[in-house]
Amino acid sequence: MIVKDAVCPFCGCLCDDIEVEVEVESGRVVGVTNACDLGATKFLGGERLKTPIRREGKTWKEISYDEAIRYAAEMLLDAERPLLYGWSGTHGEAQCVGVHMAELVRGVIDNTSSVCHGPSVLAIQEVGHPGCTLGVVKNRADVVIYWGSNPIDAHPRHLSRYTCYAEGFFLENSFRDRKVIVVDVRKTRTANIADEFVMVRPGGDYAVLSALRAIVRGKTDTIPPTVAGVTRDQLIRVADLCLNAKFGAVYFGLGLTMIPGKNKNVRNAIELVTELNRHTKFTISAMRGHYNVYGSNEVNTWMTGYPFAIDFSRGIAFYNPGETTAVDILARKECDAALIVGSDPAAHFPRKCIEHLAEIPVVQLDPYPNATTAFCSVQIPVAVTGVDAEGTAYRMDGVPIRTKKVVSSDYLSDEDVLTRMYVLMQEALKR
Amino acid sequence: MKFLMNTGRTVNQGVTVENKGSAEYAREASTCFMHGFDMLELGVDDGDPVLVRGPAGEVVMRAEASVEVEIGTVFVPYGPYANHILAADTRSTGMPDFKSHEVEIEPTDEEPKSVYGLMEDLGGLAYDR
Repeated sequence: MIVKDAVCPFCGCLCDDIEVEVEVESGRVVGVTNACDLGATKFLGGERLKTPIRREGKTWKEISYDEAIRYAAEMLLDAERPLLYGWSGTHGEAQCVGVHMAELVRGVIDNTSSVCHGPSVLAIQEVGHPGCTLGVVKNRADVVIYWGSNPIDAHPRHLSRYTCYAEGFFLENSFRDRKVIVVDVRKTRTANIADEFVMVRPGGDYAVLSALRAIVRGKTDTIPPTVAGVTRDQLIRVADLCLNAKFGAVYFGLGLTMIPGKNKNVRNAIELVTELNRHTKFTISAMRGHYNVYGSNEVNTWMTGYPFAIDFSRGIAFYNPGETTAVDILARKECDAALIVGSDPAAHFPRKCIEHLAEIPVVQLDPYPNATTAFCSVQIPVAVTGVDAEGTAYRMDGVPIRTKKVVSSDYLSDEDVLTRMYVLMQEALKR
Repeated sequence: MKFLMNTGRTVNQGVTVENKGSAEYAREASTCFMHGFDMLELGVDDGDPVLVRGPAGEVVMRAEASVEVEIGTVFVPYGPYANHILAADTRSTGMPDFKSHEVEIEPTDEEPKSVYGLMEDLGGLAYDR
């Protein structure tokens, strides 16, 4: 059986043209067409955890869903300052339950954007977001800039669906007419296909952005011979390409958010785009990583007013990145229990944070054993959204797309497990 | 020798990311991509183990030459190996300096640990079934 137009639950591109071949007898995915390597591997799946597991001393014991869900609910109820973290690897409906749950136990809920595009969100809160959907870029953009992002490795189909290799309705020959500029500290594989590659000295992005802003403002004579390793001539050439564009689009990655300056780098990039909009049309957007990390920001914002790092300990939503973000809370050894959903902080957080995870009860909802499993008191396997569970995810440009269930399984979805936990918690608090 | 360590996504890291107990994931996430001249100076070849020391500790990785990396810098795919030595300070943003840590690298005879080996060092328990 072929399932057409399946939605890929890997990266923020959320490609919705995937064909998945399912073997009817076994109910397994046996073939994937149109997806990149990352997406195909996700559909084909790996060795999943079969039942919930509980750590007992130095061994693991298989337990029932009922027992695991009861443990998770009691852990959150007993905690003084629980942390509910992750959320980008699950669907919006599950994220909704998570927010309700965090409010109920007066916990802190944070999502993985705090360690990817959290600084971008901070910049957007300062100066706004002149963005647009991917379809607009595909059909109109004649200049595309990838700044501190490497889509060939991280978002492999971004180029073929929306930029370099995509047909554009308003471009006669989009492959020839569309100029691609890559700005990076490494000569990545994406840099190799650029019409103009700008190699910046590490940490120099802010200065290069400022220099481009100055040139766009007509202050070219203030630019020194080189700025963070970039020659004045190249800066002028890049600024000219941008100024002569009919429609330009900047896509920036973690190369701006994970270096010193963080949100201020992104702010400078947004302000460069604002300058360019005095002359032509230009947009800027973040290359969001997980398939529904944008959704975690959306859901949190429309439910609490804040996109991530929300602390309910005061009985109201309180937001202070740097204080209420997961890395900071763990590094300060502040939380006394953690619920992890759809992410793997033990693989992606600094060591100090993981050392604290080893000292507190941890429950994780994840289909696969991962690095965080090693710190779990209980892990509950769940269905994979987009494979054996359906739900809403937000693409990197903010477009919500309903992921499909392409196979059936006995696994509960994140939403099912969280709802059962939430009901138990409500009942316990009524008593 | 001192280097500036950058971390980031690679296709191989992304393909193996849902299978963190696999040898393929461990191999990718423990690869320290370096400039060939820096490797000459350190006296290491492709695949040789190197001890990488950062502000939070040290970890063994394997060196591999890459034309993408500039002299004086190294690139390590996102994952538990790089994070084993990174500082947790977020400078009041929530985001650690994942892409800009000064590290010290020297040749070693030790082998890189498995992902669960690293987790057990931090107080975890391997799940290997």
